[in-house]
Amino acid sequence: MVRTTSGSRRLLKWVGNGLLVVLLVWTLLPFYWMIATSLKADREIYGFEATLYPHRPTLAAYGRLFGTTPFMKYVRNSTIIAVGNTLLSLAFGCLGAYALARLRFPGRSLIARGLVVTYLVPPALLFIPLFAVMSTLRLIDTHQGLILAYLSFSVPFSTWLLMGYFRSVPLELEEAALVDGCSRLGSLIRVILPMSLPALAVVTFFSFTQSWNEFLYANVFVNSVEVRTITTGLSLFIVEDVFFWGPMMGASFLSTLPPLVMYLIFQRWVVKGLTLGAVKG
Amino acid sequence: MGRRALTWLTARADNPRVAISAGPRGAYRDDVLVQAPVLRRRRRSATARKESYLAWGLLTPTLLVILFLVAYPFFSAIYLSLQDKMVGAPGRLVGLDNYLSLFRDEVFLRTAWNSVVYTVVAVALKFVLGLTMALILDQPRRFNNVFRTLLFVPWAVPVVIVSLNWRWIFDDLSGFLNNFLITFHITSDIISWLADPRLAMACVIAVVVWSGTPFYSMTFLAGLQAIPKELYEAAEIDGASLGQQFFFITIPRLKTIFLTTVMLSTIWTATNLQFVLILTRGGPASRTEIFPHLAYTTALGARRLGMGAAVSLVFFPLLVVLIVLLTRRMLRPADE
Repeated sequence: MVRTTSGSRRLLKWVGNGLLVVLLVWTLLPFYWMIATSLKADREIYGFEATLYPHRPTLAAYGRLFGTTPFMKYVRNSTIIAVGNTLLSLAFGCLGAYALARLRFPGRSLIARGLVVTYLVPPALLFIPLFAVMSTLRLIDTHQGLILAYLSFSVPFSTWLLMGYFRSVPLELEEAALVDGCSRLGSLIRVILPMSLPALAVVTFFSFTQSWNEFLYANVFVNSVEVRTITTGLSLFIVEDVFFWGPMMGASFLSTLPPLVMYLIFQRWVVKGLTLGAVKG
Repeated sequence: MGRRALTWLTARADNPRVAISAGPRGAYRDDVLVQAPVLRRRRRSATARKESYLAWGLLTPTLLVILFLVAYPFFSAIYLSLQDKMVGAPGRLVGLDNYLSLFRDEVFLRTAWNSVVYTVVAVALKFVLGLTMALILDQPRRFNNVFRTLLFVPWAVPVVIVSLNWRWIFDDLSGFLNNFLITFHITSDIISWLADPRLAMACVIAVVVWSGTPFYSMTFLAGLQAIPKELYEAAEIDGASLGQQFFFITIPRLKTIFLTTVMLSTIWTATNLQFVLILTRGGPASRTEIFPHLAYTTALGARRLGMGAAVSLVFFPLLVVLIVLLTRRMLRPADE
């Protein structure tokens, strides 16, 4: 009996190796095509002479991207909005989560519940009325408007995630700090936050990448080039000029880098944060 | 217990030093309840009030966000869906007219069917592929960390870029797919992947699956690695085959993770309009039109805000069920 299991285990291992190769090809092929396209000259991109790999690699597409498109402006806008949103989500999240995790007050579990519900309500449902809200507040075409709109998903998520984490910090540590004359806020900053670095990393990662990657609100609430983010800017390349795939793939590659690098740095904690419950996928 | 003991016990809430020096937490709780119920309540309520002011203060930014950016827009969406409002013009209340006319609309009915097919097929494929990926990555192998990192990469890529990238892969004349098939003489005809009514939906779903599978494999893999190895060893000794181990240990142990992942992903898959918006814009002939995209084009393309809100709300009752179940699940480990 044992012999047969080890036999089928060896078989499974080879099946697994085979499938792994297939899955790697499936996963990595689009990246290959993206990078390959960005390194080709137009002649190799279109028509009968189109090639499967760049025969004469060139950076011309990147030259055109930086020289003739507002790409750098988009990068600047995305950065401002993602960083602004991340800082606010961290601040709001920490304060709210501390209250929910450590203080007793009527309505606490109701708010905790409200947070999760809020997080689960999809943007596809909210963008039409939010558009009206933004118009009334004259926040259309502003960085502040988008930062605000993104708070609607990043704050509930970060508060919920931090709440769970703060609760796992031993009460005794905080009590000791309170005895030593620390205020509640002081103990949050000096005791709880240093012990919650993994959770803070996860919140930073998600707030930043979700703002950076967001498209729907950015598309609806912004029209001007001065505020447009990468995601909407890129999708406009395709309408304005169909024969633009070289620079477009270059831009795609470059704009994937920030979330990708963050993922590589934070992946250990991010996967842990995922098992905690919820992450957009 | 004397009076002094009583006061230091009840002062605990104010003075944590007492709590710490009193030994293990909770050890004296029964005494407090039995001996000083009245005193305790009064003392507590003073600190409790202070605590609750602080709590509401700390929660103010979060509550403002919830109220103004989610709750208010949500209810105003409902109100909007009962009006015939256009962009830039005042609306008039029309009751359920928007909803009623939706159900007479052929495009809408097709959209409803498409949305179901799109969501169910995409979620099912992501599930199967995600579980396969997780099981493979759970096998002992050299460089597994590297493989895991590589396989999870699509998850970090913005959906817009994923869609643009695939649109270029599917391109008729110069895209990778046709280019590859023709170079290696697998077909001689050009296939219009995204413009062919029979292929468009399958192509969109393929992209959704590519982008969404890593989320499943991440959660599944974490679940697999949390299963104690002793269970498998014991089963092995009892003579269970690998199939039996899989169906009687692995699957039951992952059931909660399966449910949570599928529910979350269903909400996000069903309401994500970016794939369709960039790949096909709902075409050809509404073959890939789904709810969120129809709401988007109705509200912003045709500028009919009221009707758009109605479209986005029609599928909300289904989502409510998922949201309620998920909320309960996501608060379970942490909340009392």
